Amino acid sequence: MKERNKLLKPIYFITPALILIGLIVLFPIIYTVYISFTNMNIYHWFNFKIIGFANYRRALFILDSGFISAILFTFLWTVVNMVLQMILAFIIANLLNHKLMKFKGLYKTLLIIPWAIPGYVSILLWRTGIFNTQFGLLNQWLVSLGFEGKLWLSSNALAFMSLTVVNLWLALPFMIVIIDGALQSIDKSYYEAADIESATIIDKAFKITIPLIKPVIAPAVIITIFTTFKQFDIIFLLTLQPGAQTGSTLHTIITYAYENAFITSNYGYSSAVSTIIFIILVSTTLVWGRRKRGLAYE
Amino acid sequence: MLHSFFISLVFVTLIPILYAISISLSSSNSLVSVDFSFIPKKATLNNYLILFKDYPMLLWFRNSVILAVLTLVLSLSVSIPAAYGFSRMKFLFKKSIFQGLILLNTFPAILSMFALWRLMSNDSINLVNTKFGLIIIYAGTMTIFGIMNMKGYFDSIPIEIEEAARIDGANDFQTIWMILLPLAKPAIIVTGLMVLIYVWNEYIFSITFMTGNDNFTLAVGLYSLQAGETSGSWPIFAAASLVTSIPVLIIFLSVQKHMISGLTVGGVKA
Repeated sequence: MKERNKLLKPIYFITPALILIGLIVLFPIIYTVYISFTNMNIYHWFNFKIIGFANYRRALFILDSGFISAILFTFLWTVVNMVLQMILAFIIANLLNHKLMKFKGLYKTLLIIPWAIPGYVSILLWRTGIFNTQFGLLNQWLVSLGFEGKLWLSSNALAFMSLTVVNLWLALPFMIVIIDGALQSIDKSYYEAADIESATIIDKAFKITIPLIKPVIAPAVIITIFTTFKQFDIIFLLTLQPGAQTGSTLHTIITYAYENAFITSNYGYSSAVSTIIFIILVSTTLVWGRRKRGLAYE
Repeated sequence: MLHSFFISLVFVTLIPILYAISISLSSSNSLVSVDFSFIPKKATLNNYLILFKDYPMLLWFRNSVILAVLTLVLSLSVSIPAAYGFSRMKFLFKKSIFQGLILLNTFPAILSMFALWRLMSNDSINLVNTKFGLIIIYAGTMTIFGIMNMKGYFDSIPIEIEEAARIDGANDFQTIWMILLPLAKPAIIVTGLMVLIYVWNEYIFSITFMTGNDNFTLAVGLYSLQAGETSGSWPIFAAASLVTSIPVLIIFLSVQKHMISGLTVGGVKA
């Protein structure tokens, strides 16, 4: 009796959570995979049929379907944003830790405010307060300086710049905090030794600071790469809101999947795109997990 | 030098927020004036009064609070026992189930939103446009995070403490309720706050699922208030944005340190 009790006990503890996750997370994913093999769309809402891999072929092999260019843009977006973010956060965190620095706590608190505001609120404030063609600050300033206002979110090049600025604004606080924490774990005597050897700032950064903080910040960097890769909110809220599209055609893979489901109602196709993205994410997680066992989740 | 750099950095960083504050306090027709300044010439709370009087701001606020609190209760009451189970108990496939949860967590919820919407709008289920529907979606999404975050903390509590309690005659319930939970309080609080913030900051599920005015949350309300190129009122929108942000801002800044360790230890960024 006691043995049986011991075997049953874990069931009471974990089953409620597993049921909830199964219904809300797992089952919709399985259903998405199922829909991806059908021709479900606005005309075939009930009487859809299985069409095999047609949606996958359209996504992967028909170049003007838009998926391939969304993948390329997503990679470009991730690389550009990660590089800028790492460089800027590294410089700012180092300055915060400069020996002449005073009021560090105050500056840090003020600088992480963007992180503390609901993301969608900040993005909408940027859209209206900064980029709006009439009362956005950028155009008000341009006009008062005698220039013509610009459509910041309309052409792809300007939109890419604007989106990147907003992403950096949202993401830098987290990275600054992470690097700042890592910098404080470095033993100061390394720098004293380097000073005796009269090493330059660049030498110290590349030979002491970066190698030493690398393992400390690695998990946070990996998480941020995933977050950047999966970015939806910034692109959707700034340029793709239904009824208020700005004309830029930039899509990350996630906004592309969303658009095909909720705007153009190609449910089967959108589900195929979602499934492909899921496979990409799971395989990178597994590969990464194998190389740096458990790093991101320990 | 260093100070002027940081003062300008802080200023540049806060421009969107300062502008929103300034415009929300200004009388509403000054928004296209060229001589804009960050300190409005005639500060007035008029926009805030209009927001609460002429718009259902209080209803939106209340709906958001209800969603956040009920999600918190539901997700903690399933994820605390589960985290304990994964940390302390032996059962079949424990490791594979846990790794499965980690993989599920990499899946962006938005990609299965259509499937979820189709399931929930099914005539026999009919959970679209109900608070209950959104609560179970939020709780389900946050439960994996909760389990991962709290399991790690449970792992760090020495098992000897529980064994000692058992030798003193405490049963399972007493051991967990009176010994373990108080010890795990920091992790539970951080997880709980993350759930609250997640619900408060979520908009895409709420604008998709909450179509009836009575169920509008702050996110849906704010989304509908947006000032476009030709419509809407930017000062009212700015006021609503600030009112929406303040609760999270207060929570966030007051538990800054725990937040950061809670995030990095759990390994998930909200």
